[in-house]
Amino acid sequence: MSSTETAVNPATDGHEDTARAADSRWPAWITSKSFQGAISFIAFIAIFVVFSVWLGSKFFNVPARYLDIHQSAPVLLLGLSVLVTLIAGQFDLSVASMATLTTFLAIGLKVNQNWPFALVIVVCMLIGVVGGLVNGFLVVRLRVNTFIATLGTGGVFLGLSSVYSKGAQLSPTTTSHQIPHWFSGAGSLGSFGEKVPAALAWLVLAGCAVALGVALARRRPPGVAERTWQALSATAVIVLAVVLVVVVDIGEVVEQISLTMGVLFVVALAMWVLLNYTTYGRYLHATGSNATAARLAGVKPDKETTKAFVLGGVLAAFAGIILAANQGSAAPEAATGFLLPAFAAAFLSTVILSTGRFTVWGTLIGGTFLVWVGQGLVVGGLAFTWTAVVNGVVLILAVALSTMFRRTN
Amino acid sequence: MSASRDIRITGLTKSFGRNRVLHGIDLEIRAGEFVGLMGPNGAGKSTLIKILDGVYKADSGEIAYGEQSVRSLADLTEVGFIHQDLGLVESLTIMENLRLGQDPLRMIGPILHHRREREAARRAIARVHLQRPVDTLVGDLSAGEKTLVAVARLLDRGARVLFVDEATSTLPPADSRQFIAALRRTVEEGATVIMVSHKLSEILDSTQRVVVLLDGRLASDVSAQGLQREQLVRMLVAHEAEGHDLRPIRRAPGEELLRLDAVRTERVGPIDLQLRSGEIVGLTGLPGSGLHDVAFLANGSTRPHSGEVVKAPGVRTALVPPHRESQGGFDLLSVRQNLTVSALSRWRHRSRLLRLGEELREVEGMVASLSITPSDCELEYGTLSGGNKQKVVFGRVLFRRPRVYVLCEPTRGVDVGTRAEIYRLINELRDQDAAVLVVTSDSEDLFAVCDRISVVDAGSLGEFVPIDSASAEELEAFI
Repeated sequence: MSSTETAVNPATDGHEDTARAADSRWPAWITSKSFQGAISFIAFIAIFVVFSVWLGSKFFNVPARYLDIHQSAPVLLLGLSVLVTLIAGQFDLSVASMATLTTFLAIGLKVNQNWPFALVIVVCMLIGVVGGLVNGFLVVRLRVNTFIATLGTGGVFLGLSSVYSKGAQLSPTTTSHQIPHWFSGAGSLGSFGEKVPAALAWLVLAGCAVALGVALARRRPPGVAERTWQALSATAVIVLAVVLVVVVDIGEVVEQISLTMGVLFVVALAMWVLLNYTTYGRYLHATGSNATAARLAGVKPDKETTKAFVLGGVLAAFAGIILAANQGSAAPEAATGFLLPAFAAAFLSTVILSTGRFTVWGTLIGGTFLVWVGQGLVVGGLAFTWTAVVNGVVLILAVALSTMFRRTN
Repeated sequence: MSASRDIRITGLTKSFGRNRVLHGIDLEIRAGEFVGLMGPNGAGKSTLIKILDGVYKADSGEIAYGEQSVRSLADLTEVGFIHQDLGLVESLTIMENLRLGQDPLRMIGPILHHRREREAARRAIARVHLQRPVDTLVGDLSAGEKTLVAVARLLDRGARVLFVDEATSTLPPADSRQFIAALRRTVEEGATVIMVSHKLSEILDSTQRVVVLLDGRLASDVSAQGLQREQLVRMLVAHEAEGHDLRPIRRAPGEELLRLDAVRTERVGPIDLQLRSGEIVGLTGLPGSGLHDVAFLANGSTRPHSGEVVKAPGVRTALVPPHRESQGGFDLLSVRQNLTVSALSRWRHRSRLLRLGEELREVEGMVASLSITPSDCELEYGTLSGGNKQKVVFGRVLFRRPRVYVLCEPTRGVDVGTRAEIYRLINELRDQDAAVLVVTSDSEDLFAVCDRISVVDAGSLGEFVPIDSASAEELEAFI
């Protein structure tokens, strides 16, 4: 074996230099995979900068941009929900309807039926589990096409929500039972005015900075000396910090994080750990990549896929609860319009800081990008009715980009 | 079109990112030659063919057909390519497949002239000596007959130069012989054939000239006339002196680890099979005989309809699947994730999280010990060459540390050097007291590692014979 090694390696090593010389029209860092993976992210920042320069403080305004994230927390949660099934190689089109259903139940079971609120939350989450199980059963056991199955269950969930609400808006009135104050309304979980404790936020920020540094250090491209790379990544982190401190008011950035945003972050963190640091995450990726190979390698693709649908259902149910908290009421089809941006966010993750794979942080960044682009255009004078058009275009661009990357690599 | 059908390739180079695959290939192929193109996995054979076929664009260099300088040969009607995936539509008939992509033979207006189409198809398949009604569905043909249809289709379209890229690697020997005979006949009729293959005997028996690529360079270019097998092996392994003639030390097998008791499924059975520790059992048979079904049964991947698969307590099994491309690995995942997916619980902490650092260390060890190239274990599996994919799948099985190994086609499509490595690894498994079931359509696998062998025919298992009393000719005649 060692002889084959010597037969192959010296030859390839010896000619790496000539190979690089041939590519010299482009500097090595441009052709590198990590740069290509970051193109969309850089484009995102560039668009943000353009909007900031163009619209000034009307756009470049921490509370306003945070409010965007706060308000789209349900969309981003739905993005994480579809992400799970997408990784398993499936689609779940029922998530937005599931969220609409739990929005109605979270408000209604308290206001109309006066159930204990803790029970209401538990019931909503259980409905997410059941919905996921049904989807999983249809797709895995009955082998119904995943589009049709989830389109159908989506119709059922949405229908159930209007059956429950009789097609009307649902909100507490002065005579009805009230939603707990910690959940919705001023000074509650759902209000933008309620912030994550500053000390905690600073701690998390410090953690993020360290994690970013470590992640950068690990991604050392071959051919760059370890010392140089360490210096480079340290510089990057410091520059980022300086930008945050000087250009944006870092204090505002950290202290304006709303409770809802905090919840979103915690859920995303949990998902990230689940998908990257557990056997379940590995099995799920394997199932999505090649189910036959997974089965023969000892993974149980059917089980993992069902779990993915259940997890997706739970996340969708949770998105509905957060939507209820944000709005304090439930409107018919409250979350149906979230399906497109949720999928767009998940697909954007395949081109943001990644080449072709669905990621948790990419979904959050992609979803935020979508909202900010839409808002920037609205602030710039475009009618808000254009938002769906922008979402659709960005979704298609993201998918086209990721397919293009796949082909060239 | 010029009269000359010579192909001249000058200074062809190609890199993928930093990895240079072809270092300036100069090659001239004269009309009417039968050329064998060989080389270890990753030597650049497939890349060369794909450049000629227009799939990849060369970084530099020239391709000329006759007097004409071309970007690729793909657009020339006189040149045709046959890949491992033959590009036939299984749900259409032979005739319909032959007509695809050709000018339609019409009666009036858009109405097709079926009789003329049939006659044309009949003539085309007669040229390759395929005796089948032209209305047979391609899906109903044997693997060998499909390759014949692929040849017939190219000839029918006017191809005078055929590139054949590893089309025989999945064929049983008899079909392979039939296919190569058809190629030889086209050469006698004046066509040019360039065939990529790992099978030494095919190249030695049928070609006139052998071209060997090593590490993206043209290493040897010799006449096949009088070329000895050993000489060819030496060209292929470059510096490697030893072949794979390692006679293992055989010993008495130990306790029973796994038993199939009158096991039946729809396609096979009843199967009785006993696997004991320290023993390597070989099964062979034709495609479609149910050979691989027996492997899946032994591994527990398919459930028997009746009968029982009995495992000794605590015995784990692991499988190398027969079809590396579709069943082997996860193209989008890294080599590391591909290697460890069957053994993840080894790195699971009490908190249920994976200890990625430890995983990485062990993966790096495995990559080095199997000499998987490139050695970057974060690389996507899909970007590896065929032989390296095979090694990764093998490494995954080793990581699982089972007592029973079920290895299907362990050396399919791998080069001579890798083959020797895999044989050495399998022999090591015997020394570790594992039970190994080698399920293969390559008789060389049987003789290199197995202790006793049997043939699967039409779903049932024949008598076992000790390998020493089996002869290669007997087996070859059968499969």
